[in-house]
Amino acid sequence: MSIDTRASDADLIVRSLTEPDLFTAVFDRHSAEILRYVYARLGSDLAEDVTAETFLAAFQCRGKYDGAWPDARPWLYGIATRQISRHRRAEERRLRLLRSAPADGPAEDHSDRAAERVTAQRLGPRLGAALGALPRQDRELLLLVAWAELSYAEAASALGTTTSAVKARLHRVRVRMRRELGDDDPVDKENNDE
Amino acid sequence: MSEIDTLRELRPVPPPAELEAMRMAARERFVARAAPKRAHRRWRRPLLVGGLSTAAAAAGAVAALVLASGPGTVPGQQATAGRSRTVVTAAWTVREDAGGAVRIYLREYANPAGLQQALRADGVNAIVRSIPYTLQRGFSNKPVVHPACNYVTINDRAPLAVQGAVLTVGRQALPALFIIHPDAMPPGSALFLAFMATPPRATGNIALKPVVLTDDTAPACVPVPAKVPAQSAPTPTVKKGGPVPSPLPKAA
Repeated sequence: MSIDTRASDADLIVRSLTEPDLFTAVFDRHSAEILRYVYARLGSDLAEDVTAETFLAAFQCRGKYDGAWPDARPWLYGIATRQISRHRRAEERRLRLLRSAPADGPAEDHSDRAAERVTAQRLGPRLGAALGALPRQDRELLLLVAWAELSYAEAASALGTTTSAVKARLHRVRVRMRRELGDDDPVDKENNDE
Repeated sequence: MSEIDTLRELRPVPPPAELEAMRMAARERFVARAAPKRAHRRWRRPLLVGGLSTAAAAAGAVAALVLASGPGTVPGQQATAGRSRTVVTAAWTVREDAGGAVRIYLREYANPAGLQQALRADGVNAIVRSIPYTLQRGFSNKPVVHPACNYVTINDRAPLAVQGAVLTVGRQALPALFIIHPDAMPPGSALFLAFMATPPRATGNIALKPVVLTDDTAPACVPVPAKVPAQSAPTPTVKKGGPVPSPLPKAA
């Protein structure tokens, strides 16, 4: 088995149909990113398990991979999203945590980001509540864009819909979120007050 | 600041060591779950050649799955042209990544001889010992272990700067993650790790965090005075067990 480090994910996945070992390269490329996303959605108890299940499901259905996508991230995020949806209670617990406390990751200490961080933490409880109140599909889309940092086209691919549908839905979701948050941005307010 | 930016700021992020430990565990699960399905397929390979190979190699008393995959990647780094090698057992995983760092992911305190062998195969001059223990019955008839002796390394340890250059220790006790940089080990030095290879559900386990020793002589195991069993014997039905021989044969 030889792996060309420049080979696209699509190449590796297609070749893995006859050389299954090559799929480990897909795991090594993307597992950290998928794991971070699952961790953010479900917490540490399930992150490892759901990530393994995601790649296992991907491995088992790799024959259906659309080779037009050289980057497998949207496909993997789509599978991860379906795996995550099986753990609603864990996700609800995670959202409750978001409502009650700021993010639990190591805080970056860049001074230029401090204001954004403070704003986010102040809005956190309301944002967590608004996120929890969203319909599941809307929440999936919003988090794929916000946390997985997928483009509209990639999010559309992950969710099996069209880019225009994603744009329209995301617009509605953002309007709703803004309304739930009271269109309140403390930083803007403070800046305007000065 | 948009609601998307706010969400990004609030995204929970795992500590890097925890992330890597979880990633390795997920990799193992993935390999273990994917591999058996291949056993009956036409493309089953008889040799241990790839990340999903299923043939298990017996290493000591415990079977280990040796995986030689392509470029191993560390989160945040690009894949390199090097090769990686992984040994997986039920108790632990040892993985040498393309950059030469060796990662131990320890799930259970078991099979120290196999662990030593796997580390040495990856170029780490390792001494792994099991700590002899006595077994007693505690509350609810649960086994409670007590060390029969302790390995004292305080006088044989390499300087702190060396420890820091060679070793990164994850935050969790178990499953534990240790990252070793063999290139940073001074000539003649050794990595020492000791733990009690106890039965499942036993409480009172002791594990010594890995340390770099100035030479490759195993430290002495200093006998521990026998513990008075009064606290762990709440009822007259509790029986005190005898010493349990270490499962690790004495190695050189």
